[in-house]
Amino acid sequence: MLRAKLILILLILFLCFPAFSQEKYNNVLLNSELKIKVLKFKDEINFKKAQQFFFQKNWDSTLVYSMKQLNSGKAKELADYCHFLRGSSFRELKLFEEAKTELNLISRNFTLYPLVYNNLAITSLELKDFKKSIFYFNQLEKLSDKDQKKYYIKSLHENLGLCYLHLKQFDKAEAYFLKSSEILKIEKDTISLIGSYNNIANLYYEQYKDNLAIPYFEKAYLLSSKVKDFEVKRQTSKNMAVVEENRNNFKKALIYRKESEQWKDSLNNQSKIWALADYEKKFAVAQKQKQIKVLEVENKLKNTQRNTLFFSSIGLLLILTGGVYLYAQKVKNGKTILRQKNKLDELNATKDQLFSIVSHDLRSSVNALKNSNSKLSATLETKNYDELNHLIVQNSSIANGTYSLLDNLLHWALLQTKQLYFNKESVHLYSVIQQIEYNYKPLLLDKSITFQNSVSKNIFIFVDLDSLKIVFRNLLDNAIKFSKENGQIIFSGNDIDSDFYQIIIQDTGIGMNENTINELLQEGELLAKKGNSEIIGTGLGLQLCKQMIKKNNGTFNIESELNKGTKMILTFPKTK
Amino acid sequence: MDNINVLIIEDTLEQSDALVKVLTDNNYNVAGVAKNYTEALKLFYEKSVDIIIIDVFLDGKPEGITFAESINIIPHASKPFVFLTSSQDRQIFERAKLTKPFSFLMKPFNELEILYAIEMAVEKFYEQTNVFLSEEQNTVISNDSLFIKKKNSLKKVNLEDILYIEVEERYCNIVTEKEKFVILISLTKISDLLDKNKFIKTHRNTIVNTDKIEEIILADNLIILKGNHKINLSDTYKDFIKKMNILS
Repeated sequence: MLRAKLILILLILFLCFPAFSQEKYNNVLLNSELKIKVLKFKDEINFKKAQQFFFQKNWDSTLVYSMKQLNSGKAKELADYCHFLRGSSFRELKLFEEAKTELNLISRNFTLYPLVYNNLAITSLELKDFKKSIFYFNQLEKLSDKDQKKYYIKSLHENLGLCYLHLKQFDKAEAYFLKSSEILKIEKDTISLIGSYNNIANLYYEQYKDNLAIPYFEKAYLLSSKVKDFEVKRQTSKNMAVVEENRNNFKKALIYRKESEQWKDSLNNQSKIWALADYEKKFAVAQKQKQIKVLEVENKLKNTQRNTLFFSSIGLLLILTGGVYLYAQKVKNGKTILRQKNKLDELNATKDQLFSIVSHDLRSSVNALKNSNSKLSATLETKNYDELNHLIVQNSSIANGTYSLLDNLLHWALLQTKQLYFNKESVHLYSVIQQIEYNYKPLLLDKSITFQNSVSKNIFIFVDLDSLKIVFRNLLDNAIKFSKENGQIIFSGNDIDSDFYQIIIQDTGIGMNENTINELLQEGELLAKKGNSEIIGTGLGLQLCKQMIKKNNGTFNIESELNKGTKMILTFPKTK
Repeated sequence: MDNINVLIIEDTLEQSDALVKVLTDNNYNVAGVAKNYTEALKLFYEKSVDIIIIDVFLDGKPEGITFAESINIIPHASKPFVFLTSSQDRQIFERAKLTKPFSFLMKPFNELEILYAIEMAVEKFYEQTNVFLSEEQNTVISNDSLFIKKKNSLKKVNLEDILYIEVEERYCNIVTEKEKFVILISLTKISDLLDKNKFIKTHRNTIVNTDKIEEIILADNLIILKGNHKINLSDTYKDFIKKMNILS
């Protein structure tokens, strides 16, 4: 009875050993094989997870994800792997029947089939189907030593021995156990060797060959003193105790049992120590966690500090660039203002000059009028009617001149202040020239100048009537002023193209040189030069003409020859 | 052919006298001289007026414009205006401009300028520009009269007085009960501008005032007008008879 119990304990003990050791070694090959598959099927997330959980020994999750992978129906190549993972997981969960079913689903050409055999064999062993187990082990045994090593199949003989032991085929069991112990001795796997010795001892014990059994028990016991595993020590010493008990050597049995108890305590102590160590570890981890948190907070603080610094520096930079920009703007503005000031000064100077000339002109003409009037009254007393008429004509011409000067001044002022009313309309050129000439008839007659208007009577130009009159008035005035007695003034026209009409005002006067023409045609500034010749005026008239013509979209040009005459050439847009 | 009636609104006697002289010299008929706004309105409604010459400033106030504005809002009452002004102030112009069509004359002006301005005002008012000064046409047609340029001045003929018009190339012979004269206008223009219900083509070159028809003798293709004028009726233009209300 005692023996039977002993064997049972031993069996359970040893069944765990081979299973454990094999699993550990198999992983290396399996691992690499699975990694390859994962890389090959990157998209199969379920499979990847299943294998991850498998290595983490999370069997339930492995089952879930491998099932998902199988259900997805994709990547048939992975099906065998999934079944294998599921079989192994079921076995680990001690659900041996399910394990068996899963493993049997794996196809024959699965690359790691020996591993399947191994699993099947162990599963059968667990299910106490020793014959089947032996069948599977035999399949493995057929493999060459090299293959066995490749698949990390170990404890094969040991397990076979166990099977035969259960089947009471002691000869075969003995042979396998001895073979196993030989191999283990060579491999110096002490713990397995102790197990092996124990198995052999049990075998003999079962057959009541105590003489053969006891040395193995002792061997096992002696070897166990070399290892640190308390469980093994306890087992061997307990075995020895049972042996001594059976030999009725109770004293020794007691010693062994005490030793066994001691090892059991040590085992318990060790567990306690481990638990304590575990607790300490956890504590240390918690401590570390706290430190990490503190560091994190510090980091955050540093980050915020850094950010603040960063942003404030950016802000400062912006302010600086803004300042530089504003300063540049200010400098630019200053320059513009200076330029404008200079221009204004210049314009103001021109204006001042103009005013001085105009007022001088006005003063002298009014003065002339005054003198002429006193002369007039003196002549009236003498009743010299011829002289009287002459003086009146002279007065009216002075008044006319002054009036046109004032008129020009008024229009110039209106133009400068942009107050001039300007309205373009269709204008009958011939009539306008006649209207202007009408006012100058006495002057023309006085100088015996013949006037000719040879502009076409069918021409209508599109201009502002009053500005056109100002232009003609000034040009005719000039032409008369610079003409000698018996001269000729001709207004003629040319149809230059479909849009413009050209008007030429030709006189037979004194003409002018190239310089004067250029000065007159110069853009912008008033001529405002009172030359030594009394004839040259302010230039205001021509300046006004130029601006008015420009405003009417016309052009202005002068052709002249000294002492032969001048041609003023104007173009204006025609009425469409 | 009648003279044109001109209403002058001008407060300065000297200037209005000068104007009256120029106008009468050129065969215009001065309907009256108003010195202020109320006088102007009174004269405007009393007399028959064809053209109004308005000084913008009356007693230093722009009442001239006010007058123009007030007669402008009465339908069919408005007549061609000529504004007289001595200032080219933009503000005044902007206001005067609203009384369309707008013609103005800057003071001082000479005889030619005022005559030109009157002609322009008539042309602009009846929207028939570039007429009087061109060599192709000398008549502007309003809804009740013809304005004809004769020498330096304008003349007027009431459309009602016309019996018929005979076209010869660029000229038209206008025949009224009293007189007969020639104007310069093309047939197409004159037929466009005349009231088509009143003036009807009876022949390729004849337009007849239907009000003046006394008798139509279809057998002889003849139309007899007042004053026993006999006009030929061409077959092509007979259709107009259908439009007339024939008394039995």
